[in-house]
Amino acid sequence: MWRPLLPAVALAWLALGSGPARAAEPLPLTVFAAADLGFAFKELVPRFEKALGVRVTLVLGSTGQLAQQIEHGGPADVFFAADQAFVDRLVAERVLLGETRALYAQGRIVLATASAFGRKLTELRGLTGPNVRHVAIANPAHAPYGKAAEEALRKAGVWDAVRPKLVYGENIRHTLQFLQTGAAEAGIVALSVANVPEIDWVPIDPRLHAPLNQATAVVRRSPRPELGLAFIQFVNGPEGRPIMKRYGFLLPGEF
Amino acid sequence: MDWFPVWLSLRVALTATALTLLAGVPTALLLARKRFPGRNVLEAMVVLPLVLPPTVLGYYLLVVIGSRGPVGQALAAIGVEFAFTWGAAVLAACVGSIALVIKSAQAGFETVDRQLEQAARTLGRSEWSVFWSVTLPLAWRSVLAGAVLAFCRALGEFGITLMVAGNIPGRTQTLPLAIYDRVQAAQMSEANALALIAVGIVVVLLFGLSRLVRLRY
Repeated sequence: MWRPLLPAVALAWLALGSGPARAAEPLPLTVFAAADLGFAFKELVPRFEKALGVRVTLVLGSTGQLAQQIEHGGPADVFFAADQAFVDRLVAERVLLGETRALYAQGRIVLATASAFGRKLTELRGLTGPNVRHVAIANPAHAPYGKAAEEALRKAGVWDAVRPKLVYGENIRHTLQFLQTGAAEAGIVALSVANVPEIDWVPIDPRLHAPLNQATAVVRRSPRPELGLAFIQFVNGPEGRPIMKRYGFLLPGEF
Repeated sequence: MDWFPVWLSLRVALTATALTLLAGVPTALLLARKRFPGRNVLEAMVVLPLVLPPTVLGYYLLVVIGSRGPVGQALAAIGVEFAFTWGAAVLAACVGSIALVIKSAQAGFETVDRQLEQAARTLGRSEWSVFWSVTLPLAWRSVLAGAVLAFCRALGEFGITLMVAGNIPGRTQTLPLAIYDRVQAAQMSEANALALIAVGIVVVLLFGLSRLVRLRY
């Protein structure tokens, strides 16, 4: 029984060795970025690679998880957080280089309606209507866009009415999925991920929530801090800003 | 399409299954045969990874093997970085799946007729020989079932891997992480293709194993 199995397994293992061996190549610039940057960076990163002749590995995740990983030695060169608080904490812990810290956007939130729902909502009060049975927001306990959504709902005076209908996404992409699948009729998501065919949206007045300052910095352990800084400058430079703006990552002067 | 996650996952799952068998079978035998102080504690420890949420477990592991953790710092002293490598993905897969090997093999060993082992001993067989020629052949179906479960669990491991190995494309992005990434990026056709491959791997494995088993017995 075991005799034919063991050599087969050993052989398969050796054959598969050719896979992970790719890690032996010179390491590309590794960018840890909040999940909401996915769409914008898919467009921006190839331009940076072409301009500087380097390869970039983009790792997307929730800001909290990425921050924990960088704290414990995660191989990031640059960190783009959805909330500047995470960057400031890691700068204070001397994990990130404070002198490289830069603001790259002030996040905006939008009121989104699932297209399948039919009637597009234009104001937060609409969420209290009986036809809206589920309202998707990111988890306010740890997701910055969720916190902003809660603040906006409170300021608009509808928090108590909407609260029983809330469903929480783990991050803003997950929240968007509730709407894309029609599982939630309406919700509040980030402007940066709102341009998908399955939802209609209207912007929410930014005065209804504290500013969502989004910051970035180079990781202290990075062997090539100057290249990481070049990436940050590219994002905030003449080539990067138009792309960032198009995906809803606006700086205070760009509203 | 990028095949890297497929190869990586196969290598990680195979390595993890081999390691869990090496560590799990002796543990299962110990739990099935011996009464010793701390046995209940050990049994509880074995199933702990099934109880804790994988990302939480991953976080604890990261705290231990990361650059600030005791194990991580000891490894760094000899020039080894373990967290965020494919080895860390193997560790994640092992932690997630070892309970399945142990519980399954333990059940198998418990049903083995002790008198057959005694008979072998009276015929002068050593303990080592008794295990290989009597105990294991009588319990192998349970061990194999545990190995299959462990392989599948290792292939599908998500939460622990995400924390300790990261989701680094081309380095530690395993098949489940790659599928998750594609879904998040709304690249559904690629996600579907990768999911089909994962299903295909398991179907081929189970089909091959059942053929092999029927052939031999």
